[in-house]
Amino acid sequence: MSPNLLLPEETSSQVLRRRLLASAGTLLLIGTYLVLVITQPTGIAEGLGQGVALVTFAAYLAAAVMLLVAVLPDLPVSTLTLIPVALALNIILGQFVGSVMVPLYLDSIGTVLVGFLAGRRAGAATGVLSTLIWSLFAPTVLPFAAGAALVGFLAGTAARFGALRRPYLAPMAGVVAGVLVGVVSAPVAAFVFGGTSGVGTGAVVAAFRSMGDSLLSAVTKQALISDPGDKAIVFLIAALLIYALPKRLSGSFDFIRRYRVLGQRGTK
Amino acid sequence: MPKSINLHPFTVLALAAAVVTMATAANLWWVSCAVLTACALVAGWTGHLRRLAVLSASILIPTFASLLLIHGLVSQDASGLIAAAGPFRVTVSGLETAMVLGLRTAVLVVAGLLCTLLIDKHQLVAAIDLSPAPPQVGYLLAATLFLLPHMAEKQRTIGQAQALRQAGTGRGLSGWFQRVRLRAVPLVLASLQDAHDRSAHLSARGFPAAGSHARLRTVADSVTQQRVRWVALLFAVLGPIAILAPFWGSR
Repeated sequence: MSPNLLLPEETSSQVLRRRLLASAGTLLLIGTYLVLVITQPTGIAEGLGQGVALVTFAAYLAAAVMLLVAVLPDLPVSTLTLIPVALALNIILGQFVGSVMVPLYLDSIGTVLVGFLAGRRAGAATGVLSTLIWSLFAPTVLPFAAGAALVGFLAGTAARFGALRRPYLAPMAGVVAGVLVGVVSAPVAAFVFGGTSGVGTGAVVAAFRSMGDSLLSAVTKQALISDPGDKAIVFLIAALLIYALPKRLSGSFDFIRRYRVLGQRGTK
Repeated sequence: MPKSINLHPFTVLALAAAVVTMATAANLWWVSCAVLTACALVAGWTGHLRRLAVLSASILIPTFASLLLIHGLVSQDASGLIAAAGPFRVTVSGLETAMVLGLRTAVLVVAGLLCTLLIDKHQLVAAIDLSPAPPQVGYLLAATLFLLPHMAEKQRTIGQAQALRQAGTGRGLSGWFQRVRLRAVPLVLASLQDAHDRSAHLSARGFPAAGSHARLRTVADSVTQQRVRWVALLFAVLGPIAILAPFWGSR
């Protein structure tokens, strides 16, 4: 039965179309990443370099939008109302942390919260939407939409497999997520922007370049230093916030109940 | 007083996409500078120049600094050496690369921010609602744009309340962490509770509505604008291919 009694049920062709879109988006993302890593195009600022930048930008953005279109109609209303809160939290907390010069981002805390509360599809959709809306204020984040989707997807996956049942498991899951997100996002930073957009991270990339690393290798190593720590902190904070929620509220999410995301903590 | 332009939001976005992709593909410093000048002129004409300059500078200054560090200071090119000391090597081609990449990013940033300043947010939401995009997208965009100032205000109020009860006044990293915790926890918990309350009302009204429905706000559009959008999208896709095609043969 439809989760909402006022709405018609979906036809099998609609479900099939969404699955095809999700598969196409995932394949496009993986394919683009593999092509970039295997071929390692040189000359990012001349010849076909700008073509590589445009193709990387377009492919990562298209993959993220395909995943969003595939996932969005499937989300219940309780998750849809949660997503704007998460998007606003990403932006407000990200800006607040940025304004006090602490070397953390914390700009994916809302995405991880949705992933923990509503599952990986909702987390992925929140990641993409967050990037699309943030791009209205900072257009350079646009090609990182696929990386943001991966953060939400991995947060939901970690919650589903018990990362919130013990407080120390959440930051460990964050470290793993940070490694994967850093590796996936590195080609965008390298081939679209020629490095990174922050002075601190730029200095780390420059240090690796001075040791003879290629640009992609240097950006990947920088991402592997920055992202795991950031995601470990974000996952821990999101987990602590969820522990602080009233049971009535956290228990209202089907994902939390179905996969016993909070373990014993959710039943006490 | 900033002027408003009477164009469909998608027309502005399509034109920006065409300009950004073609300027990126052309990869000529004077094309990038011409696009940036044109953006500044449009911003000046519509009264957004100051805001565009501030917003662009906040993104582009760190970006240029980062590119100078990565390509300008530790260049791996053997020729055109300007200065070298220890691991640092400043070369002509390294500085050129940093400048080209910086200008490429500048075109994206300035054109993108100009779109944001020119497009009325309510018109954009209405245009998305009237498009074939899933109805949830319009709701999510509208709700986020409404919630942003609302939650920022709520965060300030929470901060004032905590300051009144003299909580979170410590110094250093622990003081900063305590301030973040005292602001973030009530903000997140209250916002999640609000979202939970809203979902019950939206569910009871059959959200998201399927099929066509009446909208009070209309978005001005015309056949000419629709044609401009199609042409701009064609240029956005085929323009870079036409510009880059000669390089394929020379590789």
